[in-house]
Amino acid sequence: MRVALAILGDSFRLLRAKKLFWVALWISLLVALMYASIGFDEEGLTALFGFQHFENPILRAGTPEAAAFYVMLFTDLIVKFWLAWFAVALALVSTASIFPDFIAEGSIGISLSKPVSRLRLFLLKYFGGLLFVACQVGLFTLVVFLALGFRVGEWNFTVFWAVPVVTFVFSLLYCVAVCVGVWTRSTLFALLGAFLMWGAALLGQWTESGIYQYAYFNPESGIVVDYQTGEVSQGAPTEKSTEAIAAHKTAKAVVMPLPKTRDATNSLKRLIRIPERDSLLSGVTWDMLMTGQMPDPALAEATRRLEDRHSVWYIFGTSAIFEVVVLGFAAWVFCRRDY
Amino acid sequence: MMEGAAVEIEYLKKRYGKFVALAGVSLSVPRGTVFGLLGPNGAGKSTLVKSLLTIIRPTECRGKMLGQRIGDRKTLARVGYLPEHARFPEYLTGREVVHYSAGMTGVAGPMAKERTERLLERVGMAEWGGKKVKTYSKGMKQRIGLAQALVNEPEIVFLDEPTDGVDPEGRIEIREMIEAMREEGRTVFVNSHLLGEVEQVADEVAILSQGRVIRSGKVSELTGAGSRYELRTLGPVPPGLREKLEGAGLEVAGDRVVIAAQDASEVQTVIDALRAAGVVIRELKETRLSLEELFLSAVQGAREEGLAR
Repeated sequence: MRVALAILGDSFRLLRAKKLFWVALWISLLVALMYASIGFDEEGLTALFGFQHFENPILRAGTPEAAAFYVMLFTDLIVKFWLAWFAVALALVSTASIFPDFIAEGSIGISLSKPVSRLRLFLLKYFGGLLFVACQVGLFTLVVFLALGFRVGEWNFTVFWAVPVVTFVFSLLYCVAVCVGVWTRSTLFALLGAFLMWGAALLGQWTESGIYQYAYFNPESGIVVDYQTGEVSQGAPTEKSTEAIAAHKTAKAVVMPLPKTRDATNSLKRLIRIPERDSLLSGVTWDMLMTGQMPDPALAEATRRLEDRHSVWYIFGTSAIFEVVVLGFAAWVFCRRDY
Repeated sequence: MMEGAAVEIEYLKKRYGKFVALAGVSLSVPRGTVFGLLGPNGAGKSTLVKSLLTIIRPTECRGKMLGQRIGDRKTLARVGYLPEHARFPEYLTGREVVHYSAGMTGVAGPMAKERTERLLERVGMAEWGGKKVKTYSKGMKQRIGLAQALVNEPEIVFLDEPTDGVDPEGRIEIREMIEAMREEGRTVFVNSHLLGEVEQVADEVAILSQGRVIRSGKVSELTGAGSRYELRTLGPVPPGLREKLEGAGLEVAGDRVVIAAQDASEVQTVIDALRAAGVVIRELKETRLSLEELFLSAVQGAREEGLAR
């Protein structure tokens, strides 16, 4: 226990000493405060704690639309972009050097000469790195939780799902950085490896998602795309193509071993349970709101199926297997190597 | 001196591919002594220490450390280590480095705190303990390194090039600390290529060359084994007599005659010969081989032997 506390305590000190940790934390808090600064009054929407005012006939204090809009801002915008991209990228840049620095000549010897098994040392150091994201997202989510409560009366503890989910997403990439870092002893290669894996995983998930839309979403929602002209039209649901379904199955199988970073972050929409409101924004997504599309029952149902197409096992289970395999290899290299 | 060996290596071999770093080393380090492991760069000194501390996995190893099998992890709680070119996290203060080391060896919180303060005082870093390691000089880092190596009150302390990069004053202080460790009953294993320093502090030494122990034993016995007498004459030794003396295996240079002998009686015949030739003797003294001379002759001999093979 003392050993674990010593290593985790050291990880905290390392984070505290990293300028990027503070930069990321301040940006996180700024984003959370920006969100908290949005409010509603009798005439419409306010921003920057009332400094800016936007008249709106629908989004007014006390209306269910205002509450739905505020929640949507978090689930469709902040989670999708800030937590899924910037927070994870900043954390990767900040933590990529942890293992290469740890195993540097003259440094590792002291830790290895202590009565601690190499595997335990490795795992504790690894979990110490995850603290970076857990702390950042924890603080961020707390502000969001308070904002949701005070602004629209939504005291929703499920927003804290963001902490384990985003930490898990980060861990999927961090394990690659650790593996490459332990193998090559280079921070640069560790970072490059993690970003390449992230790119490959995203590419795989986008491809699978694109093929799914072609095979299922478009026929179900009656969307017809003219690939010659690029024109999109919507009508009655159409017959699904067996070739497209087969192609999707193949794509899903190919993507299966990769980490599901995007899908895991998107799953937060499922985990953060918002009570249904009888509002004009029911069934409206952020994209619809931005493009001015009206909710269509068939489209809404197809969208729901698109978002929920993967099981929790597929998203988290296969990603966890990926992490165990990569981390297992990294641990094996770490434990077997001469320093 | 306590009974038994702190380290008893029966056979230690380390191979990196085709390169043999340690070619079946056998070594015994008595408890409560200062043991110096000497050798030129690349001889395998650090590899040997790292093998004992599980930092390197030996290809083959038989032996015991503190009564337990070498490689037994629990035994490491009774061991202290200061690596060569020690690098401590720059975001930590000296106090935190020592405290971290205490935590890693399972020293309880309040005890760790008390020992940390005591050791910082002992290594002369009490005032600097709260400052970040990145602000320290090389000598200060070595002092912190010594403190962290002692925080678990180890029975044996491994110091790999402890005076590397330290100024002369700091070297003397480190030497005094090593002597104090011995006074406390600890075994101190010093890896160094600074022979003069080891000679001043070590009870026993082993010389490692090309992965083999080529000489080992008590410092006094090793240097005494090459005892000799140096005789100086008034003016150079006459050529005729010089040839005779050289023919008998003596070393003659100008007014200096060196006689390899275990005791003074063996020198008398040389004195008689010089006196008979009318040479005035102005000085006669007994000298011993320095560790440096012993080291050089041993390493040179090993190299020649290696070439001959």
